[in-house]
Amino acid sequence: MIGIDEYIQAFNETLYMTFASTVFVGLFGLALGVMLFVYAKGGLRPNKRIYSVLSVLTSIGRSIPFLILIVLLIPVTRIIVGTILGPSAAVPALVVGGIPFYARLVELALFEKGHDLKETGRAFGLTDTRIIIKILIPESLPSLVRGLTVTAIALAGFTSIAGAIGAGGLGDLAYLYGYSRNRPQVTWVATVLIVALILAIQLTGDLTVKKLKKTQ
Amino acid sequence: MITFNNVYKTFQEKHRTIEAVRDVSLNVKKDTIHGIIGHSGAGKSTLVRLINQLEKHDQGTLEVFDYTDIRRLNKESMRMLRKRIGMVFQHFNLLQSKTVYENVLFPISATGKVTESDRQRAEQLIEDVGLKGNENTYPTKLSGGMKQRVGIARALINDPAILLCDEPTSALDVDTTKHILDLIRKIKENRGLTVVLVTHDMHVIKEVCDAVSVMHDGIVVDDGTLDDILFAATHPITKRLTESIGFNMERIASDYSELPNLTLLRFQGEVTSQKILSTIIKKTGASINILFANITPSKEGLMLISIESSDPEAIKAHLRAKGVEILNDRY
Ligand SMILES: Nc1ncnc2c1ncn2[C@@H]1O[C@H](COP(=O)(O)OP(=O)(O)OP(=O)(O)O)[C@@H](O)[C@H]1O
Ligand SMILES: [Mg+2]
Repeated sequence: MIGIDEYIQAFNETLYMTFASTVFVGLFGLALGVMLFVYAKGGLRPNKRIYSVLSVLTSIGRSIPFLILIVLLIPVTRIIVGTILGPSAAVPALVVGGIPFYARLVELALFEKGHDLKETGRAFGLTDTRIIIKILIPESLPSLVRGLTVTAIALAGFTSIAGAIGAGGLGDLAYLYGYSRNRPQVTWVATVLIVALILAIQLTGDLTVKKLKKTQ
Repeated sequence: MITFNNVYKTFQEKHRTIEAVRDVSLNVKKDTIHGIIGHSGAGKSTLVRLINQLEKHDQGTLEVFDYTDIRRLNKESMRMLRKRIGMVFQHFNLLQSKTVYENVLFPISATGKVTESDRQRAEQLIEDVGLKGNENTYPTKLSGGMKQRVGIARALINDPAILLCDEPTSALDVDTTKHILDLIRKIKENRGLTVVLVTHDMHVIKEVCDAVSVMHDGIVVDDGTLDDILFAATHPITKRLTESIGFNMERIASDYSELPNLTLLRFQGEVTSQKILSTIIKKTGASINILFANITPSKEGLMLISIESSDPEAIKAHLRAKGVEILNDRY
């Protein structure tokens, strides 16, 4: 029997997977996105070769289907997490899949006003590092947060794929109990819960952006 | 203050090279407002961006302050140089996430510790540019003219000796342009600042500049004081520019074409010009008509005269002897 406790546990697992992967993706995706911008044409240190390498890797990373990524990463996951089952085991694949996704959004966000901001910083005698930290990131914060919201939502969606192959969470519940054991109401409840989670993420993101823009 | 010696700057594009600055030799004198004018793509922005090395020149030397060629500076010295040169941008380039006050203080806060005297200076500058009371406003709430005032205050926070302005008024309407130009002149006068101002609008040049360089296709085709450019231009590009604001000496002269010996003179100072003319009239008995006299913001006077005399060349010789320059007598 699936009771309220099982739903709560599944919801918490999904929440955990989404949150943990979003944190890592936020950090590493930002770093990769900044690097893409730095080496891009018109960036702080344009370098065709480095940019091409980073860009190709990012594009490949983005185009591997998530299910295949999980399978590919099984050995890595085993080393890092110690197991390939459970919510934590889903995180490496979510992070690896999410980084290139967010990195592109970061690159785009920085590019918007990047040229003028670079000039401004340079003219004031700032180092490149300070231009990134003091100008580019603060000025692009609303776009960066918007991108992170989109990323977190995509990750929440991915958790259900991970769930279906043993990571737990709402996807697991919907697939294993709802579908395999033919209990459609379980699938429905799981669906409602995941939609609620995604709406909550969207709302949080929108409010943050609004707050950031209000001061401007 | 700033000297270009045979400076070249080329941009390497995929299938072509663009010679943005070609063999430019130019001197910007201390405490002047030096205008750079020319059509779009002439290389004006590239030229000023060389002064704070946002672009590096490929050939020639560029002297700024005591440096003999700023291209040779290492990264650290380059940053120090940039702090001594303020820059004002066409699109203001204010930081949206910061208030007026934070924007003005930004060049200092982004690179080091802010001291109490920095804070006072920021407040004073905000007052000087006429924005007192707007310290805590965010740039999106400001009009274009106010934004540029913030941009100017920010450019002055490090107390620079040189101020670079790349099309500072091109995004502003006519009245606002006038106010911003007045502000630039006032600040220049109060602080003893050397200003390099890029524009494509001859009105702007006439309004504030002491000296002018005309650029075309990467080359400085004409160069001189404002009066030289307005009244004694010979290059077709310069002529077209002066005509755009109604300054056409040939047309003025043609209005008086029935008069004999039209001559354009330049004096140093107006008082002496009257005296010199009356002395010569008395001495030679010639009749000299002043048809046109103009005093631009510079201290030089220009005058178009008609000489009625049996020997006009003798009169001209007298004038030259008194230190008067004859700019043109072939109308
Ligand atoms: N970073 C760059 N890379 C390639 N070409 C450039 C670059 N910067 C300028 N150019 C080219 O150099 C030439 C001069 O440009 P510049 O911006 O100095 O002209 P400008 O006189 O300031 O024109 P405008 O009035 O349009 O601002 C143009 O042909 C321009 O396309
Ligand atoms: Mg320009």
